[in-house]
Amino acid sequence: MKKLGNTKPAAVITTVVITVISVLFGISAGSVSIPVSEIISAAGVRLFGQPLPEGMSPTTVNIIMDIRTPRVLLAFLTGAALSASGAVVQSALRNPLGSPYTLGVSSGASLGAALVIASGASFFGGFTVAAAGLAFAVVTMFITVGFSSKIDKGFESSTVVLTGMVISLFANALVNLVANLSGDKYALIFKWQTGSFSGRGWTACGILSAVLLICMAVYLRYSRELDLLSFGDEQAASMGIDPAKTRRILMIVMSLLTGTSVAFAGVIGFVDLIAPQIVRRIFGAKHSLSIPMSALVGGAFTVICDIAARTVTAPSELPAGTVTALIGAPFFAYVFFKRRRRA
Amino acid sequence: MSVALSVKNLTCGYGGEDVIDGISFDVNGGESLSVSGKNGCGKTTLLRCICGIIPKKSGEILIDGKNTDELKPNERARLAAMFSQTSASETVGAYTVRDTVLMGRFCHKSGIFSSITQEDISIAEDCMRRTGALSLADKYINELSGGQLQRVLLARTFAQQPKLILLDEPANHIDLSGLPELISMIREWTEDGGAAVGVFHDLNLCAAASDRLILMDSGKIAADGSCKEVLKSKILSDIYGFDVQAYMRKIAEIWR
Repeated sequence: MKKLGNTKPAAVITTVVITVISVLFGISAGSVSIPVSEIISAAGVRLFGQPLPEGMSPTTVNIIMDIRTPRVLLAFLTGAALSASGAVVQSALRNPLGSPYTLGVSSGASLGAALVIASGASFFGGFTVAAAGLAFAVVTMFITVGFSSKIDKGFESSTVVLTGMVISLFANALVNLVANLSGDKYALIFKWQTGSFSGRGWTACGILSAVLLICMAVYLRYSRELDLLSFGDEQAASMGIDPAKTRRILMIVMSLLTGTSVAFAGVIGFVDLIAPQIVRRIFGAKHSLSIPMSALVGGAFTVICDIAARTVTAPSELPAGTVTALIGAPFFAYVFFKRRRRA
Repeated sequence: MSVALSVKNLTCGYGGEDVIDGISFDVNGGESLSVSGKNGCGKTTLLRCICGIIPKKSGEILIDGKNTDELKPNERARLAAMFSQTSASETVGAYTVRDTVLMGRFCHKSGIFSSITQEDISIAEDCMRRTGALSLADKYINELSGGQLQRVLLARTFAQQPKLILLDEPANHIDLSGLPELISMIREWTEDGGAAVGVFHDLNLCAAASDRLILMDSGKIAADGSCKEVLKSKILSDIYGFDVQAYMRKIAEIWR
């Protein structure tokens, strides 16, 4: 591996710039292409009450501020939430295949959403599906954590991963069962599972960004513990942390964050696996840097995938989760197996 | 000299099985103790239990006079540090040697906002110098050879500034040329007043690294005394099931 001591600040700046460009491009691209200058003007009009510039229609302002921006922002926040969580899970479990998905969180959320869609229940109006998704994500994580703690007091990572896989597959089977029994709602359940950022609005962005900020603060608080955990439980314990307790706290925070993102956007696969892998290669493993960088890279990747999702087959749309997996899976295979071959 | 480690009637193991079965011994500050015995006799389990990696079932462990039951993980790590076999491929990602050694300072950082200070950095550098790892400081640990990694992890162990170091087969990845250096690092550590407990398969290494040797057999202490006494006693052949002394003498003939 190349020495990166002096190139790191440059790499951080490059990542931030790419992220900003991808977000601006995400707002600009679509059935109607909008120049960046108009995006800035629209923000000025809506946020600071500036007068509408000449030649710009109020409809453009509405498209930018009510449709494009919340959509792109939600894509970014979802990618960031999943990727930062992926970085944490991979280190906490010392498993490069660790992700909220492999631990059953996404499947749990899908089950909650499927049940609500199938039953037509509506406790929180438009947010009922999201609320059920979040609740089931958290409950699934508790089941995974509880079950693994019960069969393995040391809460070892292999136990957690295997338990997560079992619970994930079981929840998926239940989702299929519910979908098959739900008759005409099958398509809706399927659509939710494949993920989308369309039409979720500013409320979803607001809630997710608040949860993201809080959970990121917890992740960063534990960044040094995660560094130690990378060396395995035995060494981490001898350096002064309680591996099982640390892992449990991080798993719970992770389920809250990924549960919230899955609740709004549905299942978005692979970004949580890929982003941390790329980031570690560029920025090294230190978590104080690799967690925030994973969030940026994952966010930007998801925004780009969403641009592809809504432009490639325009005017119809592809599910965002399908695009992230379509691009992500081969890329992941390339990165992962290339390293394996060398090792 | 004060007692650095006091193990009283300790029983521990994995699941329902007791691997360590009611053993007691003390180690003084400035003393180097070797522990040996057949595979599965409980040597490594003993170190893991002293270090708090696996819980004990009964008995007491006092490090520097403090009962480990009353210590938080970071307080315990300030008293006892363990050096164990590892390979870099087991870690998820790449850390520089400097960052790795600085991890040894974690147990001295209580509080959410305490960060690495200049003092931590100079302690880490001092420890790297001591183990011959300073020239590697900016390399990534997954670029190192097994022997180099051992030096780095040993530096990290020293960086915890404990009273007691626990060494699990420290010579494993080190070739012959590095052995005298390793032995002198352990000896220097005890000359400075630290206590060391090392687990070795090689009885010659036991004798080189320590003055005192404990032989374990099925989770119990079979012999405890000076290396000379224990290595000459009949118990050695009883434990290993053949005439160890005659075998060693035969090999030694070659060197004459």
